[in-house]
Amino acid sequence: MSTATHQNPTLRRSSVRSAWSAWLAGGLLLLVLGSALLGPEIAPWQAEEMDWQAMEAPPSARHWFGTDLVGRDLFVRTMQGARVSLLVALIAISVSLCIGVPWGLLAGYSGGLLDQLMMRFVDAMYSLPLILIVILLVVMFGRNPYLLFAALGAFFWLDIARIVRGQTLRVRHAGFVEAARAMGASTTHILLHHLLPNIRGPVIVYTTLAIPGVILAESFISFLGLGIQEPDTSWGVLVADGVQTMESSPWLLLFPGTMLAVTVWACNTLGDHLRDMMDLQQTDRIN
Amino acid sequence: MKRSPALLVRKLTCVCAIVLGVSSMTSPSFADTQTKSSVLRLANAGEPETLDPHRYNLRLEETLLNDLFMGLTTFDARGNIVPGAAKSWSTSSDGLTWTFKLRTDLKWSDGQSLTADDFVFAFQRLQNPDTAASLAYFMDMLDNAPAVNRGDLPLEALGVRADGPHTLILTLSRPYPYLLERLLYPTAYPVPRHSIERHGDAWVKAANWVSNGAYTLREWQPQAHVALLANPHFIEPVAIQEVYYHPVVNEQSAYNRFRNKELHVIGSFPVGELGHARERLADSLRLSDLLSMMYLVFNTSTPPFDKLPVRQALSMAIDQRILTDQVLRSGNKPAFSFAPALLEGYEPVQLPHTDIAYAERLATARQLLADAGYSKAAPLRLELRHVSGIDGKKVNLAIAGMWQQLGVQTVLQQADLRNHFAQLRQGNFQVAWAGWVGENNPEHYLTLLQSDIGSVNYGRFEHSDYDAQLKVAQAQTSIAARNQALQIAEAIVVNAYAVVPLYSTSVRRLVDPRLQGWFENGRDIHQVRYLSWP
Amino acid sequence: MAGYLFKRTFFAFATFLVVVSAVFFLLRAAPGGPFDGERRLPPDIEANLQAAYHLDEPLAQQYARYLGNLAQGDLGPSFRQKDFSVSELIALGLPTSVLLGLSALAIAVLVGTGVGIAASLSPGSGMDRSLMALNNVSIAVPTIVTAPALVLLFAVILTWLPAGGSGSLQHFVLPAIALALPYAAAVARLIRGAMIEAAAETHVLTARAKGLSQARIIRRHMLPIAAVPLISFLGPTAAGLLTGSVVVEQIFDLPGIGRYFVQGALARDYTLVMGVVVVYSSAILSFNLLVDLAYGWLDPRIRAA
Repeated sequence: MSTATHQNPTLRRSSVRSAWSAWLAGGLLLLVLGSALLGPEIAPWQAEEMDWQAMEAPPSARHWFGTDLVGRDLFVRTMQGARVSLLVALIAISVSLCIGVPWGLLAGYSGGLLDQLMMRFVDAMYSLPLILIVILLVVMFGRNPYLLFAALGAFFWLDIARIVRGQTLRVRHAGFVEAARAMGASTTHILLHHLLPNIRGPVIVYTTLAIPGVILAESFISFLGLGIQEPDTSWGVLVADGVQTMESSPWLLLFPGTMLAVTVWACNTLGDHLRDMMDLQQTDRIN
Repeated sequence: MKRSPALLVRKLTCVCAIVLGVSSMTSPSFADTQTKSSVLRLANAGEPETLDPHRYNLRLEETLLNDLFMGLTTFDARGNIVPGAAKSWSTSSDGLTWTFKLRTDLKWSDGQSLTADDFVFAFQRLQNPDTAASLAYFMDMLDNAPAVNRGDLPLEALGVRADGPHTLILTLSRPYPYLLERLLYPTAYPVPRHSIERHGDAWVKAANWVSNGAYTLREWQPQAHVALLANPHFIEPVAIQEVYYHPVVNEQSAYNRFRNKELHVIGSFPVGELGHARERLADSLRLSDLLSMMYLVFNTSTPPFDKLPVRQALSMAIDQRILTDQVLRSGNKPAFSFAPALLEGYEPVQLPHTDIAYAERLATARQLLADAGYSKAAPLRLELRHVSGIDGKKVNLAIAGMWQQLGVQTVLQQADLRNHFAQLRQGNFQVAWAGWVGENNPEHYLTLLQSDIGSVNYGRFEHSDYDAQLKVAQAQTSIAARNQALQIAEAIVVNAYAVVPLYSTSVRRLVDPRLQGWFENGRDIHQVRYLSWP
Repeated sequence: MAGYLFKRTFFAFATFLVVVSAVFFLLRAAPGGPFDGERRLPPDIEANLQAAYHLDEPLAQQYARYLGNLAQGDLGPSFRQKDFSVSELIALGLPTSVLLGLSALAIAVLVGTGVGIAASLSPGSGMDRSLMALNNVSIAVPTIVTAPALVLLFAVILTWLPAGGSGSLQHFVLPAIALALPYAAAVARLIRGAMIEAAAETHVLTARAKGLSQARIIRRHMLPIAAVPLISFLGPTAAGLLTGSVVVEQIFDLPGIGRYFVQGALARDYTLVMGVVVVYSSAILSFNLLVDLAYGWLDPRIRAA
């Protein structure tokens, strides 16, 4: 029964925060999303195209962000990386929602021994060095990106399950649920039509807050050389490569690093703001 | 509830303060390394698995074992083969019996004298099935070695015996002109029988350590250092008294620690920093060619790589000079033959298309692929396996880019060194990057494509004429006759496009400019006993 | 309390056993063996090696052997480090990892609390805003970027501190800071929020009305309230620091067990990887157990649960 946030140092309590930072965060996030979608289309280079005349070249009119070690356009690579990193986040979060929401709903709604057992399992998972286990899986079963995404998802569902369970407990005995039950509605019907809509808000908030965690975890694994494979790329891969040449070719670190940091910051800020708006408290206690 | 946390906070603060205080306490400077004139700190490419010369596997262990032990032959400061524990030797006319005269002043580091019996014990221990030495085959030219290693014959059946304390006689099952070179590998080093019989497997612990090289093991702290101390009983005095080998895997970290004067010698640094190093560390920079062959291997047992035209097209589209001059940019030498051009006394056979202009080669390659049935609509798709790391990544990305000009679509698959070669030996690949750091002996490279050599023939290349020609070469006693036969063999393999030679590696080291006695050499071997501070 | 204590301990132990078993079978199910070297191994030599390490036995027997040895504190021989047993390796690496982890924890808690209090003194002020902005940056920039940047600044340019390696306490300063940074930021936010809440509590207002000094109010009346969420945050922080130390040890060439983990995993050193996971899991489990017990001691309502 520790806290809701695990290995992701983004836990915070209600704080006074001005709306402009949320607007800025939202705007930046849209900008990142937009450039990820459009960037590779408008740039004059292909992601895998090598410019033999410009190996490791600094930013110029020809290459807006410069080129990497084999002469590929860094602007296109960064935008390509944005697509992959955001896709990792999307898939991992989807996986964690697919496990976490039913898990939390079931535990919270059924209560009793089943609830105890299910939440004990979540507790047990919390006390494991999960990211190391993800690495272990990746090393053992090959570097399939989908395995990586799924493994990360299997790691982030714990928070979701706790939040959902807490919310479910809260509304389980609410009047409209009792009323529905009295009218003979099936459990499935109650779960889907009465409970699910009521937990949507908190789930959205914690999903926003989980995205940075996934992105950072991917960069962590890629740094060790166990993540996304070339010629595919991600922010983690680009940052890991950029760190290797941070003195001689700083642009290789600067552009992808900034994109990554901005995205993480924006998601955190936005998530905080949404939480403040909804005035959510932590709901992670058993009983 | 409001009372007890205050106590806890205070206790917690107390604990934190102590920990923080301890960790920020100052101690003797980390940079005291340059002040002591008898200490040397070197970066090693990684952590050794073992310091038992019979159980070693890796090149980075060879480096350490070279300082700890001395075989019958050894290296001088320039990497030449010179007498080591043996002062002279002679060969019978059939090349099958070698007689080594040992020095009479040989001693183990504990003062006990070292005799020919110790060598007999060591050679037998290497082949003993209980030792489980993975490189036992390095000495399989000794008479009965394979049978002894399988446990079919007793250890005494091995072709090694002592004739008095100072004479060692080796009997071979086939002529082996490169024996003096093969004896340089740790698999032929003596090991201290008296210590092994007393301590068993624990003889390699620093507390029990006994060896016959210029240095002895003082301490091995995994991931931190292997510390060596000068051996007082070595045949000659040495200048450097204390040696620290630090395992440094990360090239950037090695570079930083060298510049911060924490390390005196590093074996590699990020190639992106080469320009900076040339400007600012010119007097420390040492580039040298390593006798080695980096190549692409086709899996000739799987279609379409069983077809000569496909291999030929892919080979012709690779411009080795772009790889070395534009992509790697650190002095690697382009290779056009399977045996390295650096081999002494051997003239390698070059790829048939070496002198044709690149544009013309591309046109021929396109035609070959079109004839083989590939087109824009149905392109050749393949998976290229390579070893992870910046250099490996760059080279293979560039190769994929070159193949793209033929319309070939390449997917890259990287793995760490260990797993990469495991996949290769199992034949689990289509096209793969591979490398071999070998002897100054063309046969050591060419046998990699012999059909019955086993799993090191990664692509399962089979060519009966080639095998026959190799057998012809191996039967020769003189090196000149061997090399002549090997050239004929190499011509077969080059024309069959079994592999694409890429380049021979160059080592980029940084060496403290004040260090004396450091000479570049093709084996990149630098025994500490030849080094000194001014 | 005894029942609660027993339940928590039993639960921690059961989890531990499940972890050990899961990792054991996962590793054995993985493709490839521990002896895939760069050079060829003839089948007879391979067989000798397999027998020497009991890899030729049935899986169940290997499992039983492992658990039996584990109970005696023996984690088996290391496949990669042939001259060391896993227990020896971990004993050698543990002090480094513990020192790194505790230093980072201390920095995270002390610096984070300090910054949190400073920011909470006047919420919304310029000081608060700039501290929180700095905080957000520390959380958003990953350790793999901050650690090399710290090396570049403090080791290569200023040459105040070593760039990597071990041997003196100075070698731990940069790694501990790099590791602690995001957690210090998280603690700061936590403390700031809790302090602002505490400031509104009646007894704090009373104390202020009595004219007690600001320092005394913070120490005696506000911090104790803010410490409760902090303690519950220590569990995940410890787990996070442990995971993060893998990368930090890698970047700074620190000879801790995190490096064994990465190298062991890459080399399929079954016993070593298991050993490290066993140690990590038991460290996190016992730390969480301590936090739980501290909580149970603080809050009687939980004990009853």
